[in-house]
Amino acid sequence: MSDHQRLVLVVDDEAQMRTFVRIALEAYGYQALEAPTAAEGIRQAAAHMPDLVLLDLGLPDADGGEVTRRIREWSNLPILIISARGTEASKVRALDEGADDYITKPFGAAELMARIRVALRKAGPAREVPAEVVHVGNDIRIDLARHLVVVRGKEVHLAPIEYKILATLVRHSGRVATHQQLIENVWGPGQAQQVQTLRVYMTQLRHKLERQPARPRYLLTETGIGYRLRLEV
Amino acid sequence: MISDSFDEVSRPSVRREAPEPSGTTARRALGYFSAVVTVTASTLLAWFVFGEWHLTDVVMVFLLGVVVVSMRFGYGPSLLAAVLSVVAFEFFFIPPLFSFAVADARHIVTFAVMFFVAFVISHLTKRVRDQTDVVRARERNTASLYAASREIGLAYSREALLAASARHAREMFRAGVAVLLPGANERLQVVLADDQATGASGEEMAVAAEWMWQNERISGGEMSPATSTRPLLLPLRGSRGRVGVLAFLPTDTSNVVDRDGRALLEAFAALVGSALERTMLADEARMATLRAETEALRNALLSSVSHDLRTPLGVVTGVTSALLDRAPKDEETRRLLLTTAHDEALRLSQLVRNLLDMTRVDAGALSVRKELQPLEEVIGAALTRLEHRLRDREVGTDIPEDLPLAPFDSILIEQVLINLLENAAKYTPPGTAIDVAVRLYEGIVQIEVADRGPGVAKEDVERVFDKFYRAREREGGGVGLGLTICRGVVLAHGGRIWAEDRAGGGASSRFTLPLDETRDPRGTPVDRAAEGGTS
Repeated sequence: MSDHQRLVLVVDDEAQMRTFVRIALEAYGYQALEAPTAAEGIRQAAAHMPDLVLLDLGLPDADGGEVTRRIREWSNLPILIISARGTEASKVRALDEGADDYITKPFGAAELMARIRVALRKAGPAREVPAEVVHVGNDIRIDLARHLVVVRGKEVHLAPIEYKILATLVRHSGRVATHQQLIENVWGPGQAQQVQTLRVYMTQLRHKLERQPARPRYLLTETGIGYRLRLEV
Repeated sequence: MISDSFDEVSRPSVRREAPEPSGTTARRALGYFSAVVTVTASTLLAWFVFGEWHLTDVVMVFLLGVVVVSMRFGYGPSLLAAVLSVVAFEFFFIPPLFSFAVADARHIVTFAVMFFVAFVISHLTKRVRDQTDVVRARERNTASLYAASREIGLAYSREALLAASARHAREMFRAGVAVLLPGANERLQVVLADDQATGASGEEMAVAAEWMWQNERISGGEMSPATSTRPLLLPLRGSRGRVGVLAFLPTDTSNVVDRDGRALLEAFAALVGSALERTMLADEARMATLRAETEALRNALLSSVSHDLRTPLGVVTGVTSALLDRAPKDEETRRLLLTTAHDEALRLSQLVRNLLDMTRVDAGALSVRKELQPLEEVIGAALTRLEHRLRDREVGTDIPEDLPLAPFDSILIEQVLINLLENAAKYTPPGTAIDVAVRLYEGIVQIEVADRGPGVAKEDVERVFDKFYRAREREGGGVGLGLTICRGVVLAHGGRIWAEDRAGGGASSRFTLPLDETRDPRGTPVDRAAEGGTS
């Protein structure tokens, strides 16, 4: 990250919002590009190849899912969705189209930067060669090579489905995974598994990994969207 | 209906109103056959007394037979009986016996008188019977009209009213029925239709009805044949004018053709018309009340919101202008000002969020998407969302291990939990504990959010979930909408929500959710439920 300034494209139709995000980005050492429409956003993304796209869901000329789909046709660059509350369906659409994560308005600068860091990590070298051993907070150690999960110093036995869910969340490394993405990863594509089944397995997983399953620190629920494994607390 | 069986059993030959053709033929044959049998019986009876009795008495026996036939089987058979009686009398009892020859010319007069008397008897009996029939038919019509009026009058909604009308129309007239009411821009719309009223004939009917509606005429013609497939259209009128069009779709057995049938039809149309008008007026009144209530609510909301918006906006504007005007030298003051503005902005954001939720709950637009899921997960999600807010507090959770999955909308229930937790955090001293507990009961699950704050005053127990109610004025922010939203959401789930004092000090907010989904139909209209106890 040190050899060049990271470039972030901000696609939002509200000038005030773009200004705030640009100032925040520059304060944290990023360089910012601005686009007020979806068409302009897609054009700039192709022209400048930014390291990350911040995409507002309420654009006037196209919806976020569409923009995500268009960008994904040629690039795997991280896309972070900016959305208002109560738009779960469009968030899920954008995420299933390949957006990496989302952040809900209103948000603070620190929160935004944390999300950007998580999203950029996907694009880093860690993505190509996943770490053999992943640490989740100070409590959980996951050895991906040996399918081993150690919680607070004790090895925990996970059922195959539970392990697959956990491994999928680890692959998303701090980014949200939608219900659909998890179901496809765990049961395979085209499987008509119910979200209900996934929820039951998640509950079991929490009981095995979390100290207080009703007050999870790592296996977080994104209500109406999916789950997120928080790596650092 | 009563008259049907009555008709078939006791008076088989008299179905004045469009009787079934095949049944009529059989019944008529039976009548004539009975006439023959009766005359034979009269002849036999007369034969036994012949010789001992006078010839006049023999005539009486035959006349008695004619009376019996005319009373029992109607005009035609009685005429036949009259002719047969004269013939039999001549053949068996007038010398020379067993021949149609007449010895005494006087007997010709006897035959003539006998036939005339028999004919008059037949005729008179027929008239009496006809009148009885008319009276009975009217009685039947009155009874069915009464039954219809009672049911239609008692119908509580327009749908129930229309359904009752259709049923009674089918029973009374053996005709299909369609009701057309003016919809938007005064065009008629079919609001109720039998099977016959669909397809091409239905379209034709709609066109005819529209024409009638525009021209105010009775179509279908006077006394059109009963077998006609042409619909008979009648205007529906209430006391304040026309309300719509009633269309009768006759079947082969319909009985709307004769004068009585027509009168009954018109009485029926008047009944349906006035009942429809009544429900329309009731709807209008209800809408007016609703509009008035909505207006009052909007005013209350507006004054409440404008007050609550002004305070944080004032702070944000003031602080930022101070910073713009003359930035304070020391970092500490600058930071204090910015923190204040930030806090107020957050308060504004929460207020707007609540307002949006409230409009959703209030407009009844709240669609509850229930899915079976663990309560533990949604509680965890709510606690995660409030992690920052609750960081200085001990939060205890007590959730049974064997809790079954419950049907609820996770987004809405998460909001309920967030509002209850925020409320607990707002009204209790910093650092005091908050406890979330789940209890399983028969068919329901109860979720409790309890604190160790000052508790709930007795007079507040019922009111904390009311709109705009704030337990202690001037404390904390918000318009007091948070808990009202909770109530709307919980009621929409078929649950209950209330607050009570907690044993050992503090307040306890509890709500229940039904576990059995079949007990609570999906998508209960929230507005009605939410308004239920407030007014």
